[in-house]
Amino acid sequence: MISCQHLNKKYNSVIALQDVSISCEKGEILGLLGANGAGKTTLFKILLGLVTADSGAIEITGEGSKKIGGIIEKPALYSYLNAYENLRLFAKMQGANASRKALETALEQVGLPLNRTDPVRNFSMGMKQRLGIAIALLNKPSCLLLDEPFSGLDPLGIEALKHLIFDLARQNKMAILISSHIIDVLSTICTSLSIIHKGEILKTGATNTILAACTKEYALYGGDFKKASFLADYRTVINGNYMTVSASETEISEILFKLSKEQIAIISCKPLFDLQQLFNPMME
Amino acid sequence: MMRLLSIEAYKLFRQSRTYYAILALLFIEAIVLLSAYYQGAEIIDLVLSNVKDTFYFQGNLLNGNLIIYFILNSFWFHVPLLCMIIVSGMLTTEYQEKTLETVFMQPVIKWKYLLAKYIVAIVFTVFLVLLLSLTSFLLSYGLFGHGDLVVYTDGLTFFEDNDAFYRLMYAFFFGSLSLVFFSVASMTFAVILKESFKTWIVAALFLIVSTLLLKIDLGNEVLNQIAFFKLNVTWQYFFSQAIDWKVVIINSTLLGLYTLVIMFIGLLLFQKKDIG
Repeated sequence: MISCQHLNKKYNSVIALQDVSISCEKGEILGLLGANGAGKTTLFKILLGLVTADSGAIEITGEGSKKIGGIIEKPALYSYLNAYENLRLFAKMQGANASRKALETALEQVGLPLNRTDPVRNFSMGMKQRLGIAIALLNKPSCLLLDEPFSGLDPLGIEALKHLIFDLARQNKMAILISSHIIDVLSTICTSLSIIHKGEILKTGATNTILAACTKEYALYGGDFKKASFLADYRTVINGNYMTVSASETEISEILFKLSKEQIAIISCKPLFDLQQLFNPMME
Repeated sequence: MMRLLSIEAYKLFRQSRTYYAILALLFIEAIVLLSAYYQGAEIIDLVLSNVKDTFYFQGNLLNGNLIIYFILNSFWFHVPLLCMIIVSGMLTTEYQEKTLETVFMQPVIKWKYLLAKYIVAIVFTVFLVLLLSLTSFLLSYGLFGHGDLVVYTDGLTFFEDNDAFYRLMYAFFFGSLSLVFFSVASMTFAVILKESFKTWIVAALFLIVSTLLLKIDLGNEVLNQIAFFKLNVTWQYFFSQAIDWKVVIINSTLLGLYTLVIMFIGLLLFQKKDIG
């Protein structure tokens, strides 16, 4: 479990964090959602011990010499070494098991091929992220912090990383804290969300509760929506097989039910979040 | 600590720039040797032109000992500058590539990590001096043979072949202390400045100013003896007719203390500073 209470951090006169308190339990995936410059990276750097907070307390529970592992922004690796050599170097550095078998298992766990012996400077961002996570997982920490792990990844890379994070939370019972500004990804992976804005935590709660409160529109892909006459009762924008509809949580269920009744196929239904509302401190 | 030392040594020798530095050092040596081979006799004639009419010189004065002495003079600027660039790069590249962040996300103690870097930097500097001395002795004696050493400092001083060999050996040994001082200073600059270019500029400036101040009289006997820039000349004392061992030992001890103090300052600052 990782938690922090009343963290404050200033860089000269700029307030980076103001009275920040969050908590992430064993097996939980907590998303930290905020725009660029909201204070996510500063908070992660403080939690990982790279930067000292001006005030506040941090509590990390776990066993062993390394209680927490993580990646800050892009994974920083020794570019002239290959994946195995990087992993061995970081393992030796902290006295973790650096045997070939252990390191190959660690590489396989994150889905990295064992036959890549070229320097990591040739690796794609996705592969670097995976190696960064393998390094973070050395010595079996109980908490994992991933700062913007999805940035720079292609859709396949995002999916693969999401699966890996799910597995780590479910199978290894790790407390995982992920920061991102990509709501779509966080909404599908996190059990709970904290919204950070200008260094302050605006709200924290279950992902569906937080996102439902700021969802006023949905995007639907499917059949010919123009055939559905009942849609005239709603505010819609229809463009071929794509439609946006303004509806509440209850209304969208009704719309979907009616569309299926009229045999109009629905391929996907995606909430469109109102970012103004999400990051507005007055609308908690 | 041993783990961190082996990791630092491994990283240093896995980077191409380390080999470029070694090649640069050998290149400087090759230039001295080639210059001496083609123009050495003319230079010797020029230096000795005033005394040739008064004294009779026996044997070949353009010999291995003189060439080694020429190479030794790269201790003033070229070799320390190379050492400073390589050593400071051990830390600045880690700051720039942010690998330092990855390192300190592991259970690694900050001051121990930097101490390992300092120790490896010192060993590497000594290794460079050893390499330079070994190759210069082998090549110089191999190409130019043995002979008496003539050195022009305040005046002409002559040393017999056997005596010259030991003096040159001592000069390399005590000169390495000066190089270690500059290497350690550059690492401390890297702790403070974090960026490669800034650190190189400040390191080069430090070296130039130290060399300039060497010639300046501070107007105080004690200051003239203990100021760090006055201590970097110690290896030159082996080319006075009588070696003043007392001064050599005191200067070397003081330089060692300066090195330790600069290292301690670096460790203290690094421990206190945030990473990232």
